[in-house]
Amino acid sequence: MLEIKSARKVFFKGQADEKIALDGLSLSLKTGDFGVVIGSNGAGKSSMLNAISGALILDSGKVQINETDVTGMPVYKRAAKLARVFQDPMKGTAASMTVAENMLLADLRSQKRRLRQGLNATRLAAYKERLALLGLGLENRLDTRVELLSGGQRQSLSLIMAVGGEPELLLLDEHTAALDPRTADIVMKATVRAVEALKLTTLMVTHNMQHAVDYGNRILMLDAGKVRLEIGGEEKKQTSVADLIGHFAVKTDRMLLAS
Amino acid sequence: MAMIQDIFSSFVALVPVTLAQSLILAFVVLGIMIPFRMLSFPDLTSEGAFPLGGCVAGVLLAAGQSPLTAIAAALIAGFAAGCCTAYIHLRFRIHTLLAGILMMTMLYSINLRIMGRSNLSVFGMESLFNWSPFGQPGFPSTKIVIAGAIGLLVLVLLYLYFKTERGTGVRAVGSNPDMAEAQGINVWTATIGGVGLASAFSALSGSLMVQSQGFADVNMGLGILINGLAALMIGEAITGKQTVLRQLAAPFVGAVVYYQLVSLCLAAGMPPPDLKLATGLFVLLMLALPSLKRGRAPGAAREVMRE
Ligand SMILES: Nc1ncnc2c1ncn2[C@@H]1O[C@H](COP(=O)(O)OP(=O)(O)OP(=O)(O)O)[C@@H](O)[C@H]1O
Ligand SMILES: [Mg+2]
Repeated sequence: MLEIKSARKVFFKGQADEKIALDGLSLSLKTGDFGVVIGSNGAGKSSMLNAISGALILDSGKVQINETDVTGMPVYKRAAKLARVFQDPMKGTAASMTVAENMLLADLRSQKRRLRQGLNATRLAAYKERLALLGLGLENRLDTRVELLSGGQRQSLSLIMAVGGEPELLLLDEHTAALDPRTADIVMKATVRAVEALKLTTLMVTHNMQHAVDYGNRILMLDAGKVRLEIGGEEKKQTSVADLIGHFAVKTDRMLLAS
Repeated sequence: MAMIQDIFSSFVALVPVTLAQSLILAFVVLGIMIPFRMLSFPDLTSEGAFPLGGCVAGVLLAAGQSPLTAIAAALIAGFAAGCCTAYIHLRFRIHTLLAGILMMTMLYSINLRIMGRSNLSVFGMESLFNWSPFGQPGFPSTKIVIAGAIGLLVLVLLYLYFKTERGTGVRAVGSNPDMAEAQGINVWTATIGGVGLASAFSALSGSLMVQSQGFADVNMGLGILINGLAALMIGEAITGKQTVLRQLAAPFVGAVVYYQLVSLCLAAGMPPPDLKLATGLFVLLMLALPSLKRGRAPGAAREVMRE
């Protein structure tokens, strides 16, 4: 389903502050997989997601989604295949537009936008129903401009927008990191519910080891722009938070030795 | 007392003429509003697109072409100019304002080339304002009806457009371009098309102005931008900008009110040379208001700009 082949990206190439974001990273995800991506700050997690969504142009390597090579495709064309939720609630929504209009924008992600009425009764009813699943009361605020919502409400809306339209691939970049524990929990539960109900192929970046243990069927640990460790299947079920933290510790020791 | 009456009566006498003029200039205000508010693309092209529309229409009218041909040509020329500004910004990552200044400067030469001289009379040639089935041709009432009808039509069409699937996408580009792109919207197409459309409206205004005043002049755009901005600020203060309809109505309401205010100031004896200074100070005040309200600390430059 998703195939990344030796992706490489260097920022400020040839300069003193050269940064290798992706160092020949390869990864493959099967349809229906829910991969949880962990790794320390600067490991290249966001860069990997950006490379998949098209926001980052690779120096070399290849990205394939469902057999289609998307390496040279611009962001707006890839959007037909994938949806994304960012860490920053401001990034995923159009602030000056209403909740319903934002839902409409996401709804048409993989379709051609036509010269016909955007928000009609059928659509509004459907959006209401989908927002009601969150239990945050957003379904009664369809005409509210998004800038008037709280960060948590905006992020919840971003999630509902992303899982709508059944994307082939869902990318989540620390999408609960900026939320209070209760809202984070609501958003996380809604994520899992949608991913399971719609059988979405998902990549979720998180720094929360409990989430990495609880959710998904695969763990991918990134380090210095590469996949350092992969845990899947039965092994994933046996993994505990302590084990994962252990892997971080090993890495830190090695880094200490190397420096 | 007698003086106030004097001022008032000379103001009232000018109300119809001013109203006709403001309904024509409302399209420039619309051409300023669309990039500024709907696309977050502060744009100066209108200062060049307005005379461009005037020059193109002037040349065609003088050659005996029909007013509709002249207006159509002006629309196309304006659209092309706007597309260029947007393209310069997108392709070369030049600031929108600078791209607009470049375009407007180059347009000055182009306008001169088009006309072959700095002004051109189309007096007595056929004009849209002669076609009215009501009122006497060329009188303010005729102009008010015709320009007003076109304005209403444009307003309704734009409102319907911005409510379509595609129009909603264009507004998203103005609201959050990264998000819009992630939702499958081609930001380039939307921006180029949107700014092009806006400049087409400015050019439309120029072509109507030429037909109204009976001549075209390369300098007819001088200061139009700051007048338009002032009109927009007034319009938004009256209609608000919370909904698409209010935002779209603002240029029309603003133009009408602003030009009556100007006429009142002139009637009250303000020397015409001071007008631009007064307008500039007014726009400055409107732009500074949010930061003044917030307190003494100066706001971020960008924020003030966008207000
Ligand atoms: N736009 C950019 N310009 C320059 N360097 C960048 C850019 N984006 C990422 N980098 C660099 O690439 C490396 C990987 O960054 P990335 O954002 O992918 O890390 P991450 O794993 O998402 O980290 P975090 O957990 O902090 O979000 C870092 O060294 C970072 O400094
Ligand atoms: Mg990151």
